[in-house]
Amino acid sequence: MSPRQTRPRTTGADSTTTVNLRLYIAGSAPNSVQAVTNLKRICHEHLRGVHRLQIVDILEHPQRAMSAGILVTPTLVKLSPSPATQVVGNLSDTEKVLIAIGIRG
Amino acid sequence: MHESTVFPTEGLDTSPGKPRLKRVLLCLVDGGPERQAIEAGEIDAVIDYADRKVILFPAAERALRSTSKPTSTREPHANRILAALPSPEYRRLQHALEPVMLTEKQVLCEPGEPIRYVYFPLDSVISLLATAGSRRVLEVGLVGFEGMVGIPITLGVDVPSVRAMVHVPGAAMRVPEAQFREAYEKSRTLRHELTSYVYAELAMARQIAACSAFHTIEQRLARRLLMTADRVQSDLFSLTQKFVACALGVRRESISEAAGRLQKRGLIAYYRGNMQILNSRGLQSASCGCCTRIKRSNDHIRSDQRSMGGDG
Repeated sequence: MSPRQTRPRTTGADSTTTVNLRLYIAGSAPNSVQAVTNLKRICHEHLRGVHRLQIVDILEHPQRAMSAGILVTPTLVKLSPSPATQVVGNLSDTEKVLIAIGIRG
Repeated sequence: MHESTVFPTEGLDTSPGKPRLKRVLLCLVDGGPERQAIEAGEIDAVIDYADRKVILFPAAERALRSTSKPTSTREPHANRILAALPSPEYRRLQHALEPVMLTEKQVLCEPGEPIRYVYFPLDSVISLLATAGSRRVLEVGLVGFEGMVGIPITLGVDVPSVRAMVHVPGAAMRVPEAQFREAYEKSRTLRHELTSYVYAELAMARQIAACSAFHTIEQRLARRLLMTADRVQSDLFSLTQKFVACALGVRRESISEAAGRLQKRGLIAYYRGNMQILNSRGLQSASCGCCTRIKRSNDHIRSDQRSMGGDG
């Protein structure tokens, strides 16, 4: 399999569409640390070069989480391409994350 | 980035025993993704929109505390025995005190093996387990900030009769056995404090023995939860049903059923390893009263100490 064939694609967008992700965490609490690690691995494997990741620590910026309607942390939000989706938990279920961010249909 | 986060206090509610967490959790949709993730133990915090606060789950709170406060700066006086020492006596022991972080299920001493260190828990809780065969154990004591692990040394014995296993992870101060022995011989206050504590530990073991023989699993579970809350000084703590089942010498399923009944009565909330006492008085009524008896004997000792002016 050539590298081009393994290049990830997002559903409904071409492979150059940037996926904007925002991960809400609670400092270095165990699930938050795990979520960051898992997400970075997923991005490295499936979204290399075509994503933008922003991490929001709700202990430092609670208002940002509240204005986004976040209920729990960790929460990963895919901001674009639309539709916006979200997944909660430590992101250990890679398949669930890939579906949520539109890589698997 | 998150790795360098300093544990903030502003806008953050970690105060124990408040029904806030329960109220927020009740607002989450039953069977919804948030509830499912909480039940799977994958959530660190919830946001309370009514009070505009972030509420941490106990495991997250503990983890953040341990990363935000290096063990070397923890206050040794959080331990009641160390706090009772007058400055000159404390200074004599100080050079030998070493701050350590204890992890869950860490074994501090085993029956028949020489005691290498004595431990003064700060915010950790240690379970004293009597062994019966290779796999069966029964909890005969619980040591928190009020006590010390390594009591046999004060009685001139250097091997323990029980296993000391960390139940609630956290900080403690430890002293090598030889240096503790030296300080014990020189410090009148330390001897006085520990004589009282030995009596308290003995009274606790006797009460637990009676409790184990005569009371129901539900009563014993309630007693155990109250004892843990007393030692962590919080109504919110980490606790696995497996550990409690092991400590009480019963099947895990029995603990699960008993916890379910207490939860149904609104006395506790249990979310995968996180325990919250919602109604302390109600839980006391549901317990057998052994926790109160243990506490009362401790109070008697402390009031006797005060009346004797035990600070030599």
